[in-house]
Amino acid sequence: MSWRADVLAVWAVVVRNALMASRNVFFFFELFFWPIVGVVSIGLMTKFLGLTAAQASFVLIGTIALSVVNVCQLEVAYAVLMDVWSKSLKHQFLAPIGIRHLTIGSWVVGMVRGGAIFALLALLAWWAFGFRVLAPGTAAVAVFVLGCFLTAWIVGVLVCALITLFGNRAEAFAWSSVNLVLVLAGIYYPVSVLPEPAAAIARAIPLTYFLDAYRAHFGFSAEFSAPIATGLTLSIVYVLVAHLAFYASVQRARRTGLLLKMSE
Amino acid sequence: MPSPAASVAIDAREVAKTFRSGWLRPRLTEALRGVTLQVPRGAIVGLLGPNGAGKTTFLSILATLLIPDRGSARVLGMDVVRDALALRQRLNLASGRPSFLWSLRVAEIVAFYGRLYGFSGARLRARVDALIEQYELAPYRRVPYSELSTGLKQRVALAKSLVNEPELLFLDEPTLGLDPDISVRVRAHIAALRRERGMTIVLTTHYMREAEELCDEVAFIKAGRILDAGTPAELKRRIGLGDVVALRLEPAAPAWLAGAPGVLRCASEDGWTRCTVDDAEKRLPDLLRQLFAEGVTVRNVRVREPELEEVFVELAR
Repeated sequence: MSWRADVLAVWAVVVRNALMASRNVFFFFELFFWPIVGVVSIGLMTKFLGLTAAQASFVLIGTIALSVVNVCQLEVAYAVLMDVWSKSLKHQFLAPIGIRHLTIGSWVVGMVRGGAIFALLALLAWWAFGFRVLAPGTAAVAVFVLGCFLTAWIVGVLVCALITLFGNRAEAFAWSSVNLVLVLAGIYYPVSVLPEPAAAIARAIPLTYFLDAYRAHFGFSAEFSAPIATGLTLSIVYVLVAHLAFYASVQRARRTGLLLKMSE
Repeated sequence: MPSPAASVAIDAREVAKTFRSGWLRPRLTEALRGVTLQVPRGAIVGLLGPNGAGKTTFLSILATLLIPDRGSARVLGMDVVRDALALRQRLNLASGRPSFLWSLRVAEIVAFYGRLYGFSGARLRARVDALIEQYELAPYRRVPYSELSTGLKQRVALAKSLVNEPELLFLDEPTLGLDPDISVRVRAHIAALRRERGMTIVLTTHYMREAEELCDEVAFIKAGRILDAGTPAELKRRIGLGDVVALRLEPAAPAWLAGAPGVLRCASEDGWTRCTVDDAEKRLPDLLRQLFAEGVTVRNVRVREPELEEVFVELAR
């Protein structure tokens, strides 16, 4: 496939996802309502509990990261979910495109939405609670946001793989998978407080490292050495593994007939 | 001179597919049990058969949507499993129960698939406009798919299926649920695709008249096997249903008529004597001569070839 055909296929998915998102009534809730509710409620809770500014920033960074990962991974999952809901999956897989076009295209839209949420929540956290999310500087913010997007991409692609493997029954993964990240990646607490088996899993999640690196800019001692390099390395490995899993499950769906069943 | 392989659009041999369902007690459904079929380039071939015969499964394998368990299938000279990605660029499919992303508008759906097939910019716009024009969708180009009638959805599916100007088009029940006038237009358009662009078309249908009108060859599938294949005329001949010669005679039909050479059976009803003969063109002159010689007046004669539907009923039995 030529690079031009690659770009066009990705662009097709970008346009499609953007159009669908703009007409989705849940878009408002995904983009504004839940993230704002999350930051406001957690922020108020930090006030009620009388947390220090540093402790509050620790929790608010986690809340913002969770919202960004959630929205971005949902958009990646929409690469397959929207076609499953519309029963048009077979037309998508009849076209001469690879799964990378689907996942990259939907990821691009996910990053735009995730970026918008990050900006909105950063503004809200500063206005409502005096927490300056952008204080560590452009490079640190960019790496942190990139880490969120990479985690979202991995989770989203795995959700796509599960849906093509198990059909509509796996739809729940799209909504619940991010909660696993919430529990394990140290969104609201340091990984060191987790029991060892859970901490071991947390150490395998890229977002854990990006959170650790970003929080270090707010005065928290880093739990890991070279967290950014570790997070990026893990992300690259998982992105490849997730795409292999997605490819394998699409091939399996072609063998079992699930691809057609999901289009009927 | 083109090689024999180049003149064959589809070469499927012993294609088999079994579906498994259920986790605890897996149930096996043999959808195809060794289907062999060749389709020449530029032909319109119909796959006919009762519900659950395996038509859609076979079509889906040829369209690279399903992977066969056994056998081989080469489409446009490429293997449907090994060369699937390259092959998809050259074929397309429209099904009778079309479904697309519900909130996308008509023009957006055609454009989305156009981009997937490599169209962009002015070329994409021209392609979308041409297809929308061709299928009389211009008044609906900004209407969301979910708000379209069944007939309009079908027209969108056909427009989408031509977006990449495929060499091979699969049509799965293309006129299912369409109004008769739209069906006639769709059929005329399918015929034009072959006539004007030399497109190879494989279609499944329940409508025998549609198959008879459109198809150069038909293949009857039942229980995952091809029972017979050939031109509609060949099939009628092979099945041996015979032609029906209806005669209005005065006085009534003589007894010898049922036993005359070439006459398979005779029955009288409503003043007509209907004789099924092996070949009307061959037998009719002799029958008329004999009737005339016996002083029987032939007031009216009608000859009817068997319908493909009768062949279908006979084969599906």
